[in-house]
Amino acid sequence: MHEKAPVLKADLRSRLGTRYARRDRAQGLLPGVIYGHGQEPVAVSFQAEQAVRLIESGEKVFRLDMPGSAHADEGQMILVKDIQFDYLGDTIVHADFARVDLNERVRSRVHLDFHGEAKGLKTAGAVMLHPTTELDIECRVVDLPDAVVVEVAELDVDGVITAADVKLPLADMRLLTDGHAVVAQIVVQKEEVAAEATAVSAEAAGPEVIGEKERAEKAAAKEGGAKPAGGAAKPAAGGAAKPAAGGAAKPAAGGAAKPAPKK
Amino acid sequence: MALMPKRVKFRKEFRRVRDRRATKGNYVAYGDFGLQSLERVWLPGRVIEAGRVAAQHFLKREGKLIIRVFPDKPISKKPLETRMGTGKAEVEYWAARVKPGTMLFEIAGVSEAVAKAAFVRVAMKMPVKCRLVGRRVSV
Repeated sequence: MHEKAPVLKADLRSRLGTRYARRDRAQGLLPGVIYGHGQEPVAVSFQAEQAVRLIESGEKVFRLDMPGSAHADEGQMILVKDIQFDYLGDTIVHADFARVDLNERVRSRVHLDFHGEAKGLKTAGAVMLHPTTELDIECRVVDLPDAVVVEVAELDVDGVITAADVKLPLADMRLLTDGHAVVAQIVVQKEEVAAEATAVSAEAAGPEVIGEKERAEKAAAKEGGAKPAGGAAKPAAGGAAKPAAGGAAKPAAGGAAKPAPKK
Repeated sequence: MALMPKRVKFRKEFRRVRDRRATKGNYVAYGDFGLQSLERVWLPGRVIEAGRVAAQHFLKREGKLIIRVFPDKPISKKPLETRMGTGKAEVEYWAARVKPGTMLFEIAGVSEAVAKAAFVRVAMKMPVKCRLVGRRVSV
C-alpha cells in the first residue's frame, strides 16, 4: 500500500473558523484536519482539485507532503476518516485524516463490489436490493482493500446475503458491521392495490389525535358525574319550581292583569 | 390517495420558518439513484402520491421505488371571503417539509437510464426544481 500511496500536498492553516475556511475554499483549497497518535490535531488545507479527485477515486491512505514547514507530520501516512459534504451532497467541504502506521490495525469502511448476474433476477418483477453497500472492517493499513467482492450469481428469489456471508480478502481482517446486516437480497415486487385501498380508508378517517379520546372520555365522565346530580336536581327543581311558578304566577298574573284594563 | 399521518399529537401546528438547507435526508441512502429537491416547499401529500404513481406507471414492476419524504405537517387554510380572526382554520392538507437538498424519491434495482426516465416523469409533477443524483462517495 505505502509504495503506491499517493502524495497529498498540504499547508498549515494559521487562521481557523468558518470565515477563513470559506476563504480557503474560494481560493481552491480544501480545509482539513489531521489527528491521532496522541499528538495535537493540526488544521491543514489541501489543493482541493487534487484531494477531491483522489478521495472520489476511492483512495484512502496518503503520504503527507507539507513543503516549507518543519512540521513533524512531514512524510506521515494518513488515512481518510471522515468527509463533510455541502447540503446538496456534491462538494466535499472538509476532510478528516488520522495519522497511521502501515502495520497498524485500523478501522475503515470498504465498498462492496457485486459480481455476477443473479439467477433470481430472471423472475418477473424481481429486484435486487442492497441495504448495505459498505462494510466496516478492521485490518492493517497495508492490507486495506479498495473494495470487497461479493459474488451474487447464486442468489435466488427471497435469497439473502448478509455481511457475515461476505468473504473478506484476508483471514486477519475483522468484520465490524453487524453480521446480520443484509448486503444483497432479491425481492419480488407486490401489487400496489392493497396499499392504495388502505390509504383511501385511512384518509377517510383522518388522523387520530393522541390523547383526544382520553380527554373527551374524561370530560364526558366529568359531565356525567355532574349530570346525575344535576339531572336529579334539575327535574326536582324544575318539576317543583317551574310548573309551580308558571302555574301559579302566569294565570294569576294574567287573570289579575287582563281583566283590569277591561274595567 | 394522499398520504397523511395515522396519529398526531396536535391537530394543527404553527407555520414555522423555512429558511434552512437540508442537513439530513440529503443523500441517497436506500436505492441506487435519487431525485433531489433544489428548492424549498411544503410538498402536499397528493403531490407525493402523484409522483409515486408517475414513477410506478413508468417502472411497471421493474425496480423498487422508495419515497423519502412524508407529509406530517398539517396546513390549515381559511375559507374564501372569510373575515380574519375567530381562531385558526381547519386543516386543508398535509405536507412534507422539503428543503434544498432533500431527497424526495429513490430507485433501486434499475439502470441509470431507466431511473433517469422515471425521475423525469416524477419531476414533472413536483412543484420544485429537482435533479437526479447517485450514491455519493463515502469513507
